[in-house]
Amino acid sequence: MYKNKLSYSGAIILLFLTHLSMLGLVFIRGSVVAPLDFLKLTGAVLGLDIIYLLITLAYKQMTYTLDFMLLGILNISLIFQSCFGEISLSIKHLISCVMCLIACEAGFLLTRNHEKIRKNKIYIYLLILLLFISIIFFTDNQKKWITIGSFSIQPSEFIKPCFILVCAASIVELHEKLKIGFFYISKDSLILCIVALFIFALQWWCHDLGSLPTFGMIFLCALFCRFCYPKAKISKRAVAIACVAGVGVLIAAWMLAPDYVQKRLHVDIWADRYGDGYQQCEALIGIAKGGWLGVGAGNGSLYKIFAHDSDIVFATICEEWGLLYASLTVLLILIMLMTVLMNPPKNYYHAMMTAGVTAAFLMQMSLNIFGSCNLIPFTGVTLPFLSTGGSSMMSCGFLVGMLKAGQSPLFQHEVMKRKKQKQQSAKSAQKQRRANS
Amino acid sequence: MKSIRRVQKLITFMLLIFLMALAFLIYKLQSEAGFYISNASKISLGNVYDRNNDVLFDPDADAQIYGSDYFIDIGNLIGDDSRQMNNTLVAQNMGMLANFSFMLGEQEDGKAAIYTTLDHKVNRKVYDAFGTKNGCAVAYNYLTGEIYICLSKPSVNILNNYSDLDTLESGSLLCKVFYPTVPGSTQKISTTLAALESMGYDNLISKSYDCSGVYTNLSGKNIKCHLADGHGTQNITEAFANSCNPFFAQLVEDVSLPLYDIQKTYEKMGYLVNKEGNQKYLDINGISAFTASTTLADKTDFNTQWGCMGQGETLVSPLQLMVWQSAIANQTGISTYPYLISYATTVNGNPVSQAQTSYSNQMFSEISAGHMREIMLENGRNHYSNLLSGTDVGVKSGTAQVENGEKENSLLVGFVDDVNFPIAFCIEIDDRKQGEVTTSDITRVLLQNLHESLISAGE
Repeated sequence: MYKNKLSYSGAIILLFLTHLSMLGLVFIRGSVVAPLDFLKLTGAVLGLDIIYLLITLAYKQMTYTLDFMLLGILNISLIFQSCFGEISLSIKHLISCVMCLIACEAGFLLTRNHEKIRKNKIYIYLLILLLFISIIFFTDNQKKWITIGSFSIQPSEFIKPCFILVCAASIVELHEKLKIGFFYISKDSLILCIVALFIFALQWWCHDLGSLPTFGMIFLCALFCRFCYPKAKISKRAVAIACVAGVGVLIAAWMLAPDYVQKRLHVDIWADRYGDGYQQCEALIGIAKGGWLGVGAGNGSLYKIFAHDSDIVFATICEEWGLLYASLTVLLILIMLMTVLMNPPKNYYHAMMTAGVTAAFLMQMSLNIFGSCNLIPFTGVTLPFLSTGGSSMMSCGFLVGMLKAGQSPLFQHEVMKRKKQKQQSAKSAQKQRRANS
Repeated sequence: MKSIRRVQKLITFMLLIFLMALAFLIYKLQSEAGFYISNASKISLGNVYDRNNDVLFDPDADAQIYGSDYFIDIGNLIGDDSRQMNNTLVAQNMGMLANFSFMLGEQEDGKAAIYTTLDHKVNRKVYDAFGTKNGCAVAYNYLTGEIYICLSKPSVNILNNYSDLDTLESGSLLCKVFYPTVPGSTQKISTTLAALESMGYDNLISKSYDCSGVYTNLSGKNIKCHLADGHGTQNITEAFANSCNPFFAQLVEDVSLPLYDIQKTYEKMGYLVNKEGNQKYLDINGISAFTASTTLADKTDFNTQWGCMGQGETLVSPLQLMVWQSAIANQTGISTYPYLISYATTVNGNPVSQAQTSYSNQMFSEISAGHMREIMLENGRNHYSNLLSGTDVGVKSGTAQVENGEKENSLLVGFVDDVNFPIAFCIEIDDRKQGEVTTSDITRVLLQNLHESLISAGE
């Protein structure tokens, strides 16, 4: 990360310009009825920008790429969510954004040291077990939410970062293999497979099949990383077996899928426009109405549709802001994921972690965007950062924190320490040479 | 480090797949936006015009502007945006008619419009010519494919906003031109073509069969002629003009005309024979039009023979009957496909979707088409010389028994033998009785008025 030449002030200007231009668009093209509401939104966006930038300044990191990008996306998301139907600051989403930023820092601090994670991975397994228990015993009828007062938590969202962590943390022990039958398998990989199976079974039991592909994708990445490590040579046989097994599992899942899934897999949305295809049809009509440039913030009609701010949020953004703006926002999230390619991880644990995070984000984005636009079956998952939902936002924040940790950022004091060490060793070498001469 | 690089490659691969899918989605969304918007509950639409710029559909139409029954003749053809009728020009082309572009969004004062090939004034005259009778009429240019006349009675007055749905006659919401009907003796055109293809003209013309009013076929069933005393001994030209059932029953039974050959010619012409395969439909700018279907089981079987004469299980749409005429009139054996939309304009007023003439595959040989043309022209000269003064018209009439023989529909199909007025047509009158308006009367109104209209327009 320290290799990037992105200057702090330049990034701040870019960030402010982005948000100010969006607010300008809201003012010019949007349906601003109450100027006070617009001012509140402006205050919240710029306030969050300033406060977070000051905090990150105090951190004295050497670079801020991911922090800036996350802040940029979150405030874009806050503007989007505050303009659906009418222009009014979405306090709920503002809180979610703040929680996302906190979760990001927490994720970064908790996952950056791979030695600590490796030693304490038993606690991650315990946390997963705890989340399992909470889903089985404390969730509502739909087996998704735990409601405490006016707050609702979705425990399955928190399993994602935990699962990625165990995938990454268990990879170091890969060389300690046991012979089971004809196969050499490491103990940790075996445990990971069992955990993965339990997660898949739990998702199936909860009817939360929207999250299942995300976990599947993370697990596939974990498998791929295991094929690469530690011999740095991909076993073609292992890849072939894994591919055949994967296809087999997919076919079995397709055949054995319950009726409500089969219905979704085969629904002709236009033939069932006012039934199972209602949300997607309305989403596509909304996207068409918005065109490239949108109908203006607050001028859309998709806000009347159920889950307009979560499951079909991409279409709602397209309608009000246009396909161009919505695509650019998605591109911004992709650029955030691409930072991993510019700042490669320093070790294999971080590499696995970043691959898992990327897989999780990409799969969830695919399910949401392509599902709501009828390219693939509609599963009803949230779009990272842009959909409402505190649990989802916190989980996404934590994942970005993991991404940040995976890029091995250095802090100013660490850089100074290294510089001093370098200077000292240079001096002692010089002394040695003089003494020798 | 090699392993880490591989993980980076994996990440790059995943990102690329996602980006490609996103690019595909964007392309799909912008290219299908017209379809999506056509399904919106409320969207600004443009007008539909006829070839003389008469309005055929106006989303803001009311009786005070246009008159109470201005749209009655094209109600179930052009339709409207109420979604009460699906197989209409407006319902099938809402995307084209929407005042919308993906770049500009919805434009209330947009210039989106559809310009059709119809001649509304003549269409209305033909509609009125039906008088109290119901039926349908369709006529087109067999060289270019432009449909000039297309109507179906009873129709629906869209200006009533469907408040009279309970009192509407059955079939008012369907344009019968596109739907299957029993073709009656007009089917004998197809059977004669099959015989020409199989036997050749010389062999066919040399055949003569006797008609004494009733013919007992090889399976012992009686085939009756409409002339109780019979037509005596006839060749194909005479039998075609007389529409003699016993002649055609004997022709089908003739050993030199294998059933397989009839089936082959029928299939080439677009029939679904013996329900083998999928029913074919013609696409008229989104409007789906039935082609034809029949059952051919056994040469000696009554139903097969009856089907070859256009009764029983044989069904053809009036549009298809007309389209076959183009292959005969052009002497090519290739049909000219009809169309309704001449061109459309976008929301900016730019012309798009300019119509182009398209053709079917070879259905029968040019020689067969030429002989069939002569047989039909001969029939026209001898029996229908007053359809259009000074011009030969090739025709075939038909009487179709429907509702178990309780009603008889009257049909007339044909073409005008004039390169300056190349019109093919099909007229059908429901349940026609003696003394009522005839298909010839309606054809006369159609051809004469259309001729005047096209001449005055300098076409």
